[in-house]
Amino acid sequence: MDFPEFSSGIEDKEAVVQSLFWVGGALCLVATILPLVLLFRPSRLLRQAALWVLLAGTGAISAAAILVISRSLDLHLTLLSITPQLALSFRLDKLSCFFVVIIGAVSFCAVIYSITYIAHYKSERSKQFLTSGLAFFILAMLLVVASSTTFGFLFFWELMSLSSFFLVMFDLDKPETQKAGIFYFAMTQMGTIFLLASFLLLYRFTGSFDISAAGNIPQWGKGLVFVSLFIGFGTKAGIIPFHKWLPYAHSASPSNVSALMSGVMLKVPIYGLVRFIIDVFRPDLWWGIVLLFFGSITALLGIIYAFKEHDLKKMLAYCSIENLGVIVVGLGLYVIFDFYGLRVQADLCIYGALFHTLNHALFKSSLFMTAGSVVQATGTRDIEQMGGLIKRMPGTGAIFLVGACAIAALPPLNGFASEIMIFQAYLTSFSLGRPILEILLMAGLAALALTSTLAAACFAKAFGIIFLARPRSGAASAAKEAPFAQLLAPGILAALCVGFGVFSYQLISNVKSGMPLPDILPIGIIVLVLTGVTFLLLLLTRSPVRKTETWGCGIPSQTGKMEYSGDGFSEPIVTVFKPVFRTRKLSTREFYDKYNSIPRSSSGEIGTLKFFEERLYMPIARFFMKIAGAVSNLHNVDMDALILYSFIAVVLVILGVGWWL
Amino acid sequence: MNWNTAVYIVMNPLFALVLSPLVLGLIKTVKARIQGRPGPPVLQQYYQLRKLFHKEIVYSEDSSFIMRLGPYLGIAFMLTASLFVPMVFIPQTGWFGNIILFFYLMITAKFFMVLGGLDAGSTFGGMGSSREMTVSSIIEPVTIMSCAALAFVLKTTSIPEMFRTLLAGSIFSYPTLILVGISLFIILIVESARVPVDNPETHLELTMIHEAMILEQSGPKLALVELASGVRQTVLMALLINVTFPWGLAGLAGCASLLLAAVTMAVKMLILAATVGLFESLLAKIRFFRLPDFFMIALFLSFITIVFELLR
Repeated sequence: MDFPEFSSGIEDKEAVVQSLFWVGGALCLVATILPLVLLFRPSRLLRQAALWVLLAGTGAISAAAILVISRSLDLHLTLLSITPQLALSFRLDKLSCFFVVIIGAVSFCAVIYSITYIAHYKSERSKQFLTSGLAFFILAMLLVVASSTTFGFLFFWELMSLSSFFLVMFDLDKPETQKAGIFYFAMTQMGTIFLLASFLLLYRFTGSFDISAAGNIPQWGKGLVFVSLFIGFGTKAGIIPFHKWLPYAHSASPSNVSALMSGVMLKVPIYGLVRFIIDVFRPDLWWGIVLLFFGSITALLGIIYAFKEHDLKKMLAYCSIENLGVIVVGLGLYVIFDFYGLRVQADLCIYGALFHTLNHALFKSSLFMTAGSVVQATGTRDIEQMGGLIKRMPGTGAIFLVGACAIAALPPLNGFASEIMIFQAYLTSFSLGRPILEILLMAGLAALALTSTLAAACFAKAFGIIFLARPRSGAASAAKEAPFAQLLAPGILAALCVGFGVFSYQLISNVKSGMPLPDILPIGIIVLVLTGVTFLLLLLTRSPVRKTETWGCGIPSQTGKMEYSGDGFSEPIVTVFKPVFRTRKLSTREFYDKYNSIPRSSSGEIGTLKFFEERLYMPIARFFMKIAGAVSNLHNVDMDALILYSFIAVVLVILGVGWWL
Repeated sequence: MNWNTAVYIVMNPLFALVLSPLVLGLIKTVKARIQGRPGPPVLQQYYQLRKLFHKEIVYSEDSSFIMRLGPYLGIAFMLTASLFVPMVFIPQTGWFGNIILFFYLMITAKFFMVLGGLDAGSTFGGMGSSREMTVSSIIEPVTIMSCAALAFVLKTTSIPEMFRTLLAGSIFSYPTLILVGISLFIILIVESARVPVDNPETHLELTMIHEAMILEQSGPKLALVELASGVRQTVLMALLINVTFPWGLAGLAGCASLLLAAVTMAVKMLILAATVGLFESLLAKIRFFRLPDFFMIALFLSFITIVFELLR
């Protein structure tokens, strides 16, 4: 591939990239400020203009990143430097630009979607804040992955976390949103603390905030930094057991925001993992095993939880947890294979993980957008209240179907294209020659296989219950098709899902040749041809077509209530995985007489144990509450005690300073 | 694409398509004989298909394009999958043959069947779909583990390559394949919805799986669905046969050897069909929630194979 208009010299291209990057960033900033200019007289015009400016901004930055990737450039830019050490500077190389492209492209579509989506909110004020927050959130994410210093990384990371927190808290009147907000804020700050700790450790060892300088630190320090980074990034990526904020936050926030959070924000910690653990450091074997273990658990539990969920957006959120698990499995396998020098398998895994990152961004944001349209049309997130929507919203339904097939890893779509890379690496790992490790890998393989078919089952259920058969509620039967922009944005993403699936082999061989992967293009062609041929052959039979009522065992007219429900669909799998759900059944009965024969009242309850929330999070939270309570008791004292505190503090400070000097 | 591959692409799916009703018919006959009935003629399935193709199509008023499109996609994906398992001769390996892609193509076919089951809003269809998806989720780790066992033993992930390696060896070269063979047999039973997992003869409560799912399909569409499940069964049988007893496959295509190989394969297939019929008659249906235990046997055997291979 050669672009003649850009081939005039490497400096020119760098200048082009540089100006595109700055212009794009500036446009995003403008889009943040623009809706807030007339704070007290919200203007529809300014808000719409801000979205268009944001569209241009994300487009420009994506273009810059694509240019960097296609030309293999490596740029260093500096925005501002407080001291030479503490600088907000950026590095655009292939890896960071890959993530910039993901963020830019998905944000681009999310902004298109927002044009009409935002309009359905009642108050002008909230529309204004949503637009501004969206722009700031996108800008912050773009700058995190472009940062070249740990200082800048953490700075923009916090901006990203805070802006997304405000977006999650958008409907702050609902108690559900408040719970989501608290969960999100607490967990994301915990993650940041671990990141901060590891960055300070790195600074302690290397004396520099530069990310690429972090490589040369002693062995034991490396392990410590890894664990800390893993917890920090894992919290943001929703790795189990740090995942609990994800379903809450995704279901509470507006759908365009959840599309961005799930499709894109979860990829930022993946960038961090890849950059620090694989690019900067030379990883140890146990890192790989840790990543593989947590990745497999996350993938499997994520999809099992998703399967039971009947809140549409929570289900999608749990599915994000699953997919992030798959990506982490890929990274873990890369570390293991790389350690033993299995080049081909290692490449399969790392490219598979990165490709899955891209693919997940595409199909998940497409699914969240269509889900948002569905929620908007029906006014509920409960899939048991939906049904029959494919006749009322055919476009949304078709796009959701493509997304569902992609996430269910069905060939020839892109979800399969990346998962097969990891499967292929597992299956060809016979040359590893370490039996114990190999057995571990096989357990991971079985978990991954179970994960991917459960995803298929989960999305068969989701599509079937939401879109097929009869409406299960009045709201569902009154649903209207979403406006054009809300079809265009997920439509583009769905088309990319098909394209990246069918042409995956060509795409991968362009990046790295000699991968032992099947070519999916002919499969797609053959399926298409065979479908066409059977269709034509069946036309030849000229069978008459008749429409009638669904057979209901003789019941004259069926209603939506008689259909198979989502909970009914998932019941067998929930029963099989009973130990995971820890279903609890409580029933109490009271009787009038002592022989227990005349019942007075009874109550029954069935629920699942929220294992992580009840056994892990709440005990920790209670522990801190206790400490906080003890500390606050210290405040409720008289003057003498306060003077004593100050005295102790002064003595400690003097001692500390003396020891330090 | 040379003529060898071209012949293969046309011939292999066609072979599966033509043979599958016969296999189904034979299984039925064997079961009937064991039960002491004369049973339907062996060719009954062909008559049935002809009849279905001449009937009218009845759609539910509640159904959408999924129900109309599903059978086409089902048969298309199944026939594409049938390309991956050479039945008569082994072509020069091309872009097909990856064992994971093979199983995933079958899942894709199933996925659209499942959606079709949900489309009419019938409780039968819903229950069938739900159970079909449950069974196929739980069997999937077993399937992939068997793939891994095959890959570990034969050092390749391409099905035609596997058969070629097997043909080059002798009958005692890969003893562990017997274990994988048992796993594959269990997968065959599960995937073709047979006793003890499902009962292909009925769609009543106890066995509301496959037959319940396709209850709303009718006429030529039902014929396509039946053909698709027939092809699924035939292809899996071919995989099992060629993994455990590949001799008789033609290496390269020549007219006479091709014919001989086709006849050999058909005979092997019929022997296996009779075995399946016998197996079905000997067992009772397992309770639905006990099925995972049954699948565990297959998982265990594949796992053992891998361990043997690692320790060799």
